Amino acid sequence: MKKIGILILAILSVTIYSCEKADEIGPNDKNSLSLNFDNMVGTEDLVMGSKTYTNTSGEKFTVTTLNYFISNIELKKADGSVLKYADQYFLVKESDKASQTVTLNDVPAADYVSLTYTVGVDSAKSVTDVSKRTGVLDPASYGADNMYWSWNSGYIFFKMEGNSDNITATNKKYQFHIGGFGGLSAPTANNLKKITVDLSASNAKVRKNIAPEVHISVDVQKVFGANIKLAASPIIMNPTLGVPVSANYKNSFALEHVHNDAM
Amino acid sequence: MKNSIFAIFFLLIPAIFSCQKNGSTAIDPNTPLFAIPEGFPAPKYKMESNPVTADGFLLGKKLFFDGRLSRDGTISCAECHNQAYAFTHHGHAISHGIEGRVGIRNAPGLMNLAWQDKFFWDGGVFDLDLFSIAPIQNPNEMDETVTNVIEKLKKDKDYPSLFKKAFGTEEITTQRFLKALSQYMLTLVTANSKYDQYAAGKATFSNDEKEGLRLFTEKGCAGCHPAPLFTDHSFRANGLDTGYFRDTLDIGRGRITEQKGDDFKFKVPTLRNIAYTFPYMHDGRFQTLEEVLEHYNSGITNMTNLDQAFKKNVKVGIPISAIEKKQLVAFLNTLTDEDFLKDKRFSY
Repeated sequence: MKKIGILILAILSVTIYSCEKADEIGPNDKNSLSLNFDNMVGTEDLVMGSKTYTNTSGEKFTVTTLNYFISNIELKKADGSVLKYADQYFLVKESDKASQTVTLNDVPAADYVSLTYTVGVDSAKSVTDVSKRTGVLDPASYGADNMYWSWNSGYIFFKMEGNSDNITATNKKYQFHIGGFGGLSAPTANNLKKITVDLSASNAKVRKNIAPEVHISVDVQKVFGANIKLAASPIIMNPTLGVPVSANYKNSFALEHVHNDAM
Repeated sequence: MKNSIFAIFFLLIPAIFSCQKNGSTAIDPNTPLFAIPEGFPAPKYKMESNPVTADGFLLGKKLFFDGRLSRDGTISCAECHNQAYAFTHHGHAISHGIEGRVGIRNAPGLMNLAWQDKFFWDGGVFDLDLFSIAPIQNPNEMDETVTNVIEKLKKDKDYPSLFKKAFGTEEITTQRFLKALSQYMLTLVTANSKYDQYAAGKATFSNDEKEGLRLFTEKGCAGCHPAPLFTDHSFRANGLDTGYFRDTLDIGRGRITEQKGDDFKFKVPTLRNIAYTFPYMHDGRFQTLEEVLEHYNSGITNMTNLDQAFKKNVKVGIPISAIEKKQLVAFLNTLTDEDFLKDKRFSY
């Protein structure tokens, strides 16, 4: 009996010890934290190409392109302090699975209670010297799938294209190219959307052995909302026309869940 | 003596060889490629972000004259920006690009670009370094992607070494490509016209030229076209009938700012080398300076956002008599800078 008692005690102490270890935050511990963007239509996973969906206005549509920039990620701790990842820009493309996971490296171990990010490329970067436009901001990096307006300097923050039989034009194509950082030489429409995600239900727990994954769903159904009708405005390619679209797609982005699994 | 002749001879050989290799005249190391002319303000371009070097300039020049910047190799920058006509598309009201496709506006002259911070007739581009992307990617101009251009340059036998000379390594990037083009364009400085000589006390004006200069100020022309750049870089509506010849309405600056108050405004162009930059206006509707002056005299449409400069009398416009017109044209012709139009450094 005594032996069993010691054994239980031993097991318990190991368990307690390991629990403590898992939750322990070493001052120099770091790990990555990733955001996983899952493009959806309502509750279904988005299938690009021929699959036809119906929007709120009852119009049929397909999606052939869906790209958007994610930038200015900020992580907030319970004590209110904020970690900013200012100079990291990501281009998420439905056509490129790897691009849908946005990874921040060397994030200090802590419990993060909220997350903020911007859909688009902030105004400072939108006017910066060409030598600082590298990676996904390189205007030559897009090939035929352009994310840069050359005629009205600026990035296309959010691009969604497809077809709809409700469009009267013979090619049946809709093109939503949403950009506009507020203008440099004159004030123009600003379609930068800052999104804050409350993670407090589970927190994102960065530990030496935990690299949290924050899953975010992006419902393209909400891009149309009740007010964007394909038959009425299939081509949206300037900042002002894009204002109601960006107001809608801000609501497309929603937290699904957070994985805090030990590695 | 004999030795020194030999030495000169040997010095000349590489000089001649390098001329041929670059397809251009050697650059005089004693003449800076870019300098701020006497009386000019500070440049708006951040010169320190892209110092003009001989190798950067030569690379930029080669790119400027290279048809491979277009999809099918037929259209180079120089196609629509011809030095002999102050880098305009001589005789073309509206530029045509690849496969004979036509654009929507007249190709503006490339002059004194370091002093500009808004490019195109509508000012849609705010940085010279970002400018070249637009004509390359415009389906009516070069119809190519910058992505492909960079790939083509990487495969070329000459470009990698030229990029190395200009930027230190053979790496060909968008940033270097655009900076090299900027270096070439920045050197296109014109400040040595007869007017400049006259202003510096080194030349005399005829009576017509003098009278034209006086009228230029008196009639208010200088309000929008002030010396020394002969533009205030503003956007204004100058009474051009909007239903001229195109199906789609060109609202100019309004397309960029999306403000109703900017509709039909276009950039005030420089008047330097104006005798050579015809046809005139954003749509190239006027062939001669006389027609332009007659427009201001009698052709102004009282349009939306018409500039105040044309509303000083009961009838819109600026009254200009036949004799005044002749004198104004005489003055405008003094803005021609022959050295600039014929500068062999700029040609390929």
